[in-house]
Amino acid sequence: MQQATIKDLKAKRRALWRQRFMENWRVFMHNPLGRIGISLLIMFGLMAVCSYIPPMIDPMYHPMTGVDPKVVSSVGPSWQHWLGTDFMGRDIFSQLLAGARVAFLVGVSAAFMSVVLGTAVGMTAGYMGRFTDTALMRLADMIMVLPTLLVVLMLAALFGQLSIWMIVLMIALFRWPGVSRIIRAQTLSLKQRPFIDAARVSGASHLRIIFRHIMPNVLPLAFLYMTFRVTSAIVIEAGLAFLGFGDPGTVSWGMMLQWVWKTGHMFQAPYWLLPPGICISLITLSFYMLGRAMDEVLDPRLRDETQAG
Amino acid sequence: MSQSRENKTILQLERVSRFYRTRGNVFRGGGRLVVALNEINLSLRAGEIFGLVGESGSGKTTCGRLIVRLEEADQGCITLNGEDITHLKGKKLRDYRRQVQMVFQDPYQSLNPQVTIADSVAEPLITNKVGSPLDHMERVLKVLNTAGLSPAEDYVYRFPHQLSGGQRQRVAIARAIILEPSLLVADEPTSMLDASYSAQIFEILQGVRDKMGATIMFITHSMASARYLCDRIGVIYRGHLVEQGPAEQVINAPRHPYTKALIDATPKFGRAAEVPTYGTLLAAERPATTSAGCPFFRRCALAERLLCAGTYPPWHQVGPGQVALCHLLEDAAPAVNSG
Repeated sequence: MQQATIKDLKAKRRALWRQRFMENWRVFMHNPLGRIGISLLIMFGLMAVCSYIPPMIDPMYHPMTGVDPKVVSSVGPSWQHWLGTDFMGRDIFSQLLAGARVAFLVGVSAAFMSVVLGTAVGMTAGYMGRFTDTALMRLADMIMVLPTLLVVLMLAALFGQLSIWMIVLMIALFRWPGVSRIIRAQTLSLKQRPFIDAARVSGASHLRIIFRHIMPNVLPLAFLYMTFRVTSAIVIEAGLAFLGFGDPGTVSWGMMLQWVWKTGHMFQAPYWLLPPGICISLITLSFYMLGRAMDEVLDPRLRDETQAG
Repeated sequence: MSQSRENKTILQLERVSRFYRTRGNVFRGGGRLVVALNEINLSLRAGEIFGLVGESGSGKTTCGRLIVRLEEADQGCITLNGEDITHLKGKKLRDYRRQVQMVFQDPYQSLNPQVTIADSVAEPLITNKVGSPLDHMERVLKVLNTAGLSPAEDYVYRFPHQLSGGQRQRVAIARAIILEPSLLVADEPTSMLDASYSAQIFEILQGVRDKMGATIMFITHSMASARYLCDRIGVIYRGHLVEQGPAEQVINAPRHPYTKALIDATPKFGRAAEVPTYGTLLAAERPATTSAGCPFFRRCALAERLLCAGTYPPWHQVGPGQVALCHLLEDAAPAVNSG
C-alpha cells in the first residue's frame, strides 16, 4: 500500500475517535447536571492539588502535625487561619484541602477496584452461564446483603485501627456485587445478539469474544456505575472516620467531623463543623450528577444517530 | 453456467435432524420436543447457488446454523468435501470455519456497534492469524470494494451506526468473504433491506460465486429472490424438505402443493388476474388425526384423507433433477433417494 494511503487512513482513524469523543462531550455538556457536576469536581480537584501548598508556606499549616503556637483552643476565621483552627490550633482550611485529597483517593480507588472486580465477575457469570453463573451470583447475593459499614466497623474493632488502604480494599470487596449483577444482565443480553454469532463464525475464541466484543459494550455501563460507587465509597469512609474507626494517620472530612464531635464543639464552632459536612455532601452530589449526565450520554434512546444500541 | 463445475458435491446433509426442547420445570419435568429439522437430505454442488425456501419457522435458518456449526445436529451427518463436520470441536472446528462463512439476516444486529468497520471485517484474518496488520488493511480495502463499498477508504473508519442498512449488509458480506471461503451461507441477507438494495446484494453474491468460485446457500422466504439468484431450489416446510430441483423447473413446474402455495403467495404486478393460481393452500387448517402422515396434510387443499393423513409420503422423481415429497404424483416414478 502506498505511504500516502496509510497516512490518510491514520488521519481518518484519528478523526473518527475525535468525532466520537466530541459527540459524547457535547451531549454531556448539554446536560445542566453534567455542567454543574463537572465544575464542582474541578473545584474539588483543585482543592486536592492545592492541599500540598499550605504546609510549604509554613509548617504550622500542616493539616496533621502543624500547630499554631499562639492558639491554644479552637478559634474562628481570621487572616492567619481562613476557616479558623481546631482544638489544638491546627488550620481547618488546610485540613479541608487535605480532606479533598483523601476523598478522591478513597472514592476513586475503591470504586475502581470494585468496578473492575464486579465487571470481571459479571462478565464471567453472564458468559459462562450454568453452574458458574449460579455460584458467582449466589456469592454476590450473600455479600450484597451484608451491611458494609457495620461489617467494616466490626473488622476495624477486631483488628484495631485500619489503614486507609485497608479501608479502600474493604469497601471494594463489599461493593462489587451490585456492579456485577448489572454487568451480568447486560452480558446475558449481549450474548444473544447476532454479532456474537458472527464473531464465532469468524473463528473468535471465547476469550476474544469476551474481551473484544462483550467488554467494549459493557465498559460504558461499568464506568457509569463507577461514578455511583465513588459516592458510596466516600460516604462509607466518612462514616467510618466519624465513628472513630478511620485511619488515624490521615486527615479526612469524616475525621474532621469526629474531632468536632469528640471535643464537644458540635454547636460551638460552626466554622469547624460546616465546611467538612458541606464538602462531603457536595462531592457525593457532584459525582452523582456526573453519573446522571453520563447516563444520558450512554443511553442510546436519547441519542439521535444511534439505532438499536 | 457451465455444467462441469457443478458435478462435484461440496456439502452433504444426510438425514440431519435438530430438535428443540421447550423449557420444562421441576414439577413437570422436561418440556415438549419441537422438531426444527426432520431428517433433511441435501447436497450442494461446488460453485452453485442453492436456494433454501420456506416460511417463517420452517427450519431454514436452523439448517444454516447447523452448517456453520453455530448449533450441532442431534441426528444425522453433515460432510464438507467428504469430511464429517457434524461434531467438530476446538482447532478442527476453527479450521472448518475458514472454509464456511455466514451472512446474517439483520445487518443492524450482526455488526458490533462498538467496533469499527475495519476491525469487524478484519476479524476473521486476526482470529485465524493470517498475514500482518498491514496486509489486513490492504485485504480489508480490497474486499470492501468487492462488496460494493467504494471508495473503501471512506468506510473503514466508521462505526456501524454511521452506515445505512444496505451498507452494513455489504460490510457483513465483506467480513464473510475475506477468507475466501468455499461455502457461504447467506441467511435472508435482504429481508431487512429495501428492494433496490436487495438487487445490489444479489449482484454482489453472484460476483462472489463467479469470481471466488464459492458455493452459496441462499436462505430465503421469497420465491422471487430465489428465482432471481439460485441455480437450484429446495423447499422446506416445518423441518421437512418437500421439493428440490433446478430453480427454473421448480418455479415453472412446481409439483409439491406447498411449493405451489409459495408461488401463489408471491406478489404479482400488472395483469395479475391473468396469472393462474394453483390454489393448493387451505384457508383454514384441518385437524390431523395422527402425526404419521404428510407434514403438509393440515394445510393441503388436495390431500386425500385416507392416504395423506395416515402415511408419510414417498419421494417422487418429477423431472430431471427434480424430486417432490408427495403422495399425489401418480405420473411420476418413485425416487429411491432424495439427494
